[in-house]
Order: sequence, then structure tokens, then C-alpha cells
Amino acid sequence: MKTTSLGRQLIAGVLLAEFICAASFSGVAVMHEMHGHRRAFDVMLRGRGDSLLGAVQDAEDPDDNVTVDPTELVVPRQDLYQVLSPTGRVLGQSPATAAELLAHLGGTNKPGYFNFTVNGTWYRTIRFNGVRVIDREENGGVGLRRPVTVLYASPTNGMWHQTIEAVQFYIVASAVLLAVTGLALVWFLRRRLSPLQELAAIAARVSTRSWDFVPPAAVLRTSELAPIALSMDELLKGLRQAFERQRQLTGDAAHELKTSIAVLKSSLQLLSMSPRTTDQYAAGLDGLQSDTERMEELASRMLALARLEEAPAEPGESCELQVAVQAVAERLRPLAALKQVVLDVCARDTARVAIPADDAEVLCSNLMMNALQHSLPGGHVSARIQLHGSIGELHIVDQGEGIPEAALPHIFERFYRADRSRSRNSGGAGLGLSICKAIVERANGTIHIQSVVGKGTEVWVTVPTTPPHDGASLGG
Amino acid sequence: MRVLIVEDEVRLANNIAEALRQRCGFAVDCAEDGADGLALTEYQHYDLLLLDLMLPGLDGLGIVRQVRRRKDMTPILILTARDEPAQVVELLDAGADDYLTKPFDLGELLARAKALIRRGKGVSHPVLTLGRISVNTVEQTVRCAGQLVDLSPTEYRLFEYLIFRPRAIVSARELLEHLYDYNWQHHSNVIEAHISNLRKKLRTVGEETTIATIRGRGYRLEAPEKQL
Repeated sequence: MKTTSLGRQLIAGVLLAEFICAASFSGVAVMHEMHGHRRAFDVMLRGRGDSLLGAVQDAEDPDDNVTVDPTELVVPRQDLYQVLSPTGRVLGQSPATAAELLAHLGGTNKPGYFNFTVNGTWYRTIRFNGVRVIDREENGGVGLRRPVTVLYASPTNGMWHQTIEAVQFYIVASAVLLAVTGLALVWFLRRRLSPLQELAAIAARVSTRSWDFVPPAAVLRTSELAPIALSMDELLKGLRQAFERQRQLTGDAAHELKTSIAVLKSSLQLLSMSPRTTDQYAAGLDGLQSDTERMEELASRMLALARLEEAPAEPGESCELQVAVQAVAERLRPLAALKQVVLDVCARDTARVAIPADDAEVLCSNLMMNALQHSLPGGHVSARIQLHGSIGELHIVDQGEGIPEAALPHIFERFYRADRSRSRNSGGAGLGLSICKAIVERANGTIHIQSVVGKGTEVWVTVPTTPPHDGASLGG
Repeated sequence: MRVLIVEDEVRLANNIAEALRQRCGFAVDCAEDGADGLALTEYQHYDLLLLDLMLPGLDGLGIVRQVRRRKDMTPILILTARDEPAQVVELLDAGADDYLTKPFDLGELLARAKALIRRGKGVSHPVLTLGRISVNTVEQTVRCAGQLVDLSPTEYRLFEYLIFRPRAIVSARELLEHLYDYNWQHHSNVIEAHISNLRKKLRTVGEETTIATIRGRGYRLEAPEKQL
């Protein structure tokens, strides 16, 4: 994928805007200057035309005509002029006046300014009508009025040169400013965008092997970047914990499995190390049998936990919690009797929850089994199902030895055993409560344990109840 | 020789202990938790410590550190279910002598245990000799100029312990501590009886090497000068 640089885009954008500004400014300056020069030019044309009118003299001929006296007239050589009588007769014209000029001049009779080109040279022309009074003395001071039309043209290239010269300063100044501010901008943006680059560099270094993500102070001081950096930090911490939990879990699982295999292997090797009596072999086989069963239990619990944690609950699966409690209680009665523990079940409320029937039995049997195993002879274990509105509650209380305070925060951790050697001997792999928690949380429920050493343990499981049939609500 | 096993998996600990007793003739004590294990090492009765890495209370690495901190030179063999190189390096650097990953071969464990004990006593070969006498620690036999000396298991263990330290005075108390586990009632006259039997058996094969009693201090395995 082609990548674009934010910094370069910004620099290019700002430089473009600056260039457009400078160009517009120069253009406006040129136009303004042109306008001024044109007005001055027009005034100059008028002045020269007036001079031309002044050069119109009495021709001193019998018809009392007027003519242009070139000796009276001093005008630039490249200028063109013509003086016409109202009848269109040429009274005088510049020596260089060409036929083309005449053609242009003859086209219109309106007074005013107009432009034309001759041989690639631009001319601006003024046409105005004037009156020349002659023979004032001979006619009683009134004189003879001789109207004339004056045409005066001057090339405009001089005006262009002047305009360009006047505007040149502005254009050069704009270009220099553009260059200077452009460089300053590049430097400034690089500097200002450096937190972004630092953030990118640090983020790029993060991997599952190296979790270090310390946003630089400059990033945290930038209001746009700080939220990104902080949420990345949070995210990475969470990810890292998840990874470490996963690694820990894999390690723990490997440890449990390898230890189980080590027990089996060493038992077998010990048995075959030297000849044994039939009784010794039989005892060894018994041991192997129970080792294998333990390993089987471990494997099935690990798989159960993996299944619970990986796949989401199937919608529509539900069971009645009180049925599960009753069923488990019936199964545990012989054990309770053996341990001389009174098992008291109170499950009259109907609590239909979104837990598959098998899982509900696993939940109840894990919790009640724990209570029984940790109870002393003569103790009492009660399991109660109650409905609190739309919440079903399973409450299991024992009067057993309790859980040490230091162990309480860890009891739901996988492979955690408050008393490892004892739990191992009683067959646990430290997965029972993790499985319970996974089952309950899959049904959006909570599990909570309170315990006092020497007094006993209380377990609360609360799970939202579900409608009795899929799709049908309680109200009908 | 006396070995301490610190392992929370009781079945595994029992299997190892049984193998060490039967195949090597060692006295073995077991502890199920790290703190108990560390407490037992403080007596310095042991010729080898066999530690599980993941233990309740105090882990194997913690025990290694504590033991080495008090300049205890007892060989240490670690049993671990994890064999990441970094962890192995950390263990060995902390002062462990060897490690075995679970599941291990019991025969290999015994061989390593014996090798570590040997090394711990400055011996590299499993057959120890003193003069005409040679003790094969693999076969657990004693020969005098090639002729087998018929010893009871306890007599063999006693003699093996002594021959690792020839000509050094070994107290009866030390012998008791290193040859019997905690399940044994300690009676020093038991040692005296076994020493006396050993002397007799050595004499019957015509061996001049003998175990001298140094009054008030202990016993010494002595070989005649000409044999050295």
C-alpha cells in the first residue's frame, strides 16, 4: 500500500496556499499599477492632444482655413497624430502617420480613448473635438470659429515597462518571502510533528516479545496525541496481561501434565526395576490405575475449561438450577454420609437460567463437593436456591475449615491450590473453581466466595433467569 | 548416603525415594513443601538435594539460593516441568548443579544422583579404590584384590561412606545422620555393631585395611602404609 506523509502533505498544502497568495497579490498589484499608469497615460495623451490643438494655426489662405504648424509642436517622434476638419479633410498629421493608422482612425467619429495595433505595436489614442478661433481682429474681436477633430496616438509599450518596473519589487519581495516562510514552515512543522513521529517509532517497536511502550513527554503534552498514547498504553497493558496469563496458563498446564506423566512413568519404571512379588505388582498396578484416573480427570477438566472459555454459550440453552442442585445432592449423599456431614438442600424456587444442564450440574457438583471435602465430621452443608426478582441465586454454606485470607484473591485462578499437597492428594487439579467461574460468567452471572478460617465458607452464585421457552416472554 | 527430596507431588516423591532406597541404598527424606524442605536442609545431613521447581511455600530456585547463601556445598539436582533455556540458566547460575525435566527416566535420575554425590565428594569414577580394596558404587559391591567381600546392605552403605573419605575421622553421629533417614530411631551402638561386623568381614578375606576407632571422635578407614 502506498503511504502518504502527513508532514509532507501539510508542507505542500501550506506552500501552495502561500504561492497562491503571493501570485494573487502580485496580480492585483500589477492591475492596480496598470490602472494608475493608464490614467496617467490618458492625461498625458490629452495634454499632448491639447498641445497639438495649440499648434493649429491660421493657414492665412483665402478660405481662412487652419493648418497644423509643425514648428509650434514638440512631441515624441514615435507618437502619431492627425488633425481633421469637420469635412474630413486632413489639416495636418505626424510625418510617420501610416495608412493603417488612418484606416483605424477613420473608423469611428466618437470622441474618447481607444486602442489599436500597427505592426505589433500597441497604441492608445484620444480623439476629441476642438475649436480654433482665427482672425479675431479682422472680425471685430469675435473671430472665425474653425472646429477641428484631433487624434493623438502614443505607443503603450512604455507604459507596460513602467508598470512592470513598479511591480517588480512586489513580485521579488513575494518570492523571497515565499522561500523564507517555506523553509521556516518546513523546519517548524518538522519540529511540531516530531511527537507524532516519536509516537509512531515507539509504537512500531512494540511486539509480543517487547511490550515496552513509554510515550515520550512531548507526546503526552500534545492534546491530540495524548489520548491516543494513553489508550494505546492501556490497550497494550491489557494485551500484555492477557498474553502473560495465556503463557502462564500454558506453562501451568504443561507443568501439570508433565508432572502427571512423570508420576506414571516413574511408577512404571520403579515397578520394572527389580523382580517383585505378585502382591507388589498388584499394589503397583492399583497405584498406576489411580494415577491414570487422576490424569484423565485433569485432561477432561482442562478441556472443559478450554471449551467454556473459547466458545460462547449457545443461545436458547437453559436449565432449571434447582433441578441440577437436587440431582447433584442425590449423587453426593453417600459421600456426605461417609464424611458424616449433613447435606441440606432447599430448592423450591424455580430458577431457569441460561446454563446448559450439564454445565449446571458441573457447577453445583464442584461447589458442593468442595464444601463436603472441606467439612469436618458432624458438619453441615446447605445449598439453597432463591429467586430475587429476575435473578436466581445459589447459596452454598459449609462449616468447614475455611480458606486462608491470603488465598482468597487467587481461588478462581487456574491451577491455584490453597493447600497444594492436600488438594493433589484429594484429586483436585486446581481447576474446579475456574470452571465454575467460566460457567457462571458465560451466563452473565457472578460468583462470589467469602470464608473465615475455622468457621466455614459461603459461596454465592447469581445468574439472571431466562424465559421458560425460547422466544416466548414471561408475560405471554 | 542421604538424600532429601522436596516435591509436592507425593506419588512422584515416593517413587523416587523408593528407587533411591532400593537401587542405590540411600537414606531418603521427603518434604512436600518448600519451607519444610529448606528447614530440613539446615541440618546439613544430606549428600544430595533433589528439588522440584514449582513448590508451594518456597520454590526450588528459592531453596537453591538460600542453601548456597549459607555456603552449603551439598549437590543440588532440580526437577522441572519447564525447560526454557533462560530458566535453566537462572537455576544453574543460582548454584544448582544439574537439572532434569519431567517426565524423566528413573534410571537416568539415579545415575545423575550418584554422579552428583560422587562429584560432591571429589571423586569422578564410580569405582573407588584404597589399596587392594575397590568399591563399585554402581554394583554396590566391595572387592578385595578381586575377591568379593560379602556385605549386608547397611554394611555396604557404611563402608561406601567411609571410603569416600579415606583416612579422615568420621564421627558416629555423622554416620548416623548420613546413613539413616528420619524414620530411623537413632542409636549410635547400631553403628558400632555394623563397624565391628565390617572389620570381621575384611579380616576374613585377608585384608589389612581396617576401620580404626578413635576414642571419643569416631572412626577412620586405615590402609597399611605399604599398600599405598
